[in-house]
Amino acid sequence: MRDRAITVLGYLAGFALLFAVWHVAATWLARSALFPPPWPVLDRAVVLVEDGILQEQVLASLRRIAQGFLLGSAVGIPIGLAIGSFRPVRALLEPWTEFFRFIPAVAMITVSVIWFGIGEESKVFLIAYTTVFVIIISTAAGVGAVARDKIRAAQCLGATRFQVFLLVALPATLPYILTGMRLAMANSFVTIVAAELVASNDGLGKMLWDARLFMQVEDIFVALVALGLLGFAADRLFRLLIRAFAGRFNPTM
Amino acid sequence: MGGQARAIRAADPGARIVPLARRLHTRTRAAGGAGALALVVLDDVGKTYRGRGGAYEAVRGVSLDLAEGEFVCLLGTSGCGKTTVLNMVAGFEAPTAGRILLDGAPVRGPGAERGVVFQGHDSLYDWLTALDNIAFGLRLRGLPKRERRARAGHFLRLVGLDGQGAKHPAELSGGMKQRIQIARALAADPRILLMDEPFGALDAMTRATLQAELSRIWAETRKTVLFITHDIEEAVALSTRVAVMTRGPGGTLKALIPVDLPYPRDRTSDGFMAVFRQVHALIHAEIHPQ
Repeated sequence: MRDRAITVLGYLAGFALLFAVWHVAATWLARSALFPPPWPVLDRAVVLVEDGILQEQVLASLRRIAQGFLLGSAVGIPIGLAIGSFRPVRALLEPWTEFFRFIPAVAMITVSVIWFGIGEESKVFLIAYTTVFVIIISTAAGVGAVARDKIRAAQCLGATRFQVFLLVALPATLPYILTGMRLAMANSFVTIVAAELVASNDGLGKMLWDARLFMQVEDIFVALVALGLLGFAADRLFRLLIRAFAGRFNPTM
Repeated sequence: MGGQARAIRAADPGARIVPLARRLHTRTRAAGGAGALALVVLDDVGKTYRGRGGAYEAVRGVSLDLAEGEFVCLLGTSGCGKTTVLNMVAGFEAPTAGRILLDGAPVRGPGAERGVVFQGHDSLYDWLTALDNIAFGLRLRGLPKRERRARAGHFLRLVGLDGQGAKHPAELSGGMKQRIQIARALAADPRILLMDEPFGALDAMTRATLQAELSRIWAETRKTVLFITHDIEEAVALSTRVAVMTRGPGGTLKALIPVDLPYPRDRTSDGFMAVFRQVHALIHAEIHPQ
């Protein structure tokens, strides 16, 4: 309880310090219309919220992330489990994962827009793409890291192959899967902004782009701060999940 | 209540007890002479690993019979192949020579009739409570939850961890984890318990406590045990027979020493000392060959 209070207070102080440094840098060092201090940005954010514009952009981006992320996870986890469990599957699919891993989602924007247009499908595809390989690799590594004696113990208690998989390999891999999802979530934020910058009618990336066109510097900063806060919240959520499912037996996480 | 009664009966399969006198005087016989008493027969068993660097013979020509209810310690220096022998009896590895029989049938892969207690704590399921770890084998068999809880609770008490059932392995000490492993193996009611240096990683005090506990548990359950160790005192303190191995590579059985002493064993008694000296001389000759 005391640890939690220290963490919360530390976070609040950390954010306060961040905004203080921003204020000092903008007011005393930069002194430029191109770098607004925190207060005008906050004022602008209030206006954008009152008009319902900021919520709309945030929701558009988050919806795409959620859809693509869930799709990528739903595809990636079973494939990762299969790669980790069966040597032939690993041999067959490793060229795929090792090939596409090095083609970043940002590089796939063009082909995605050609295939799916600038609607929702192209963005969901890109998020799923950037999610799936991280999760496959992390899940497969988790299956490979299951202690041999855990499997042997189940076998000499009479477990079938399927029981070993379901009751031993799967729960032992869960922390690795969640860690992979956490990394993939960070990737998703990078990708959604890039995709919306290039081709979109709404979302935080589109907001950044429009603000640049019309020289609305405050709007740019509102979008940047929103991205930072959303990413921070999403990452906290995954850390909480990892701790809830895995922290009990992996105190290092 | 009914589940508990059944659990206690299962833990004490009285019908299978071999009279003590016969058990203690069982001797190993030449290969192929497996009698009606032998539960497990190792018949000229060998294991050679073949890799890119050539062949490595870990175990050579091991013949040993284990009678029902016996406690046999397989004693040897590190690298003599004693763990390899256990792994072959457990079915984790197949012998490259000879055969291993359980109740007259050749061993093929691991199975529930051979419970294993591992040296490290890796084998426990960190995401399950102590009680659910013990009940794991019963869950695999599809026993109803109430029944397996009752049975697991019985074995939790048997290993002296009453009241610790809700804790996770990470919250338990090294000695407690080994108790959970023993309870988990016993709860599945195996024909034989295979123990691979289970107390090797524990401090001396905990080890002595667990040795005494294991003797008590063995006396209560009358389970057949094959116990691997490199500790002479441990072997003499626990077993009805000590099987001494030559040093590796290519380790084999050197001698079978019956330990005809009453339990609980007094480690300072003349009888204990005499057996200790005898076994010590055999092991010493392996460490410092002439």
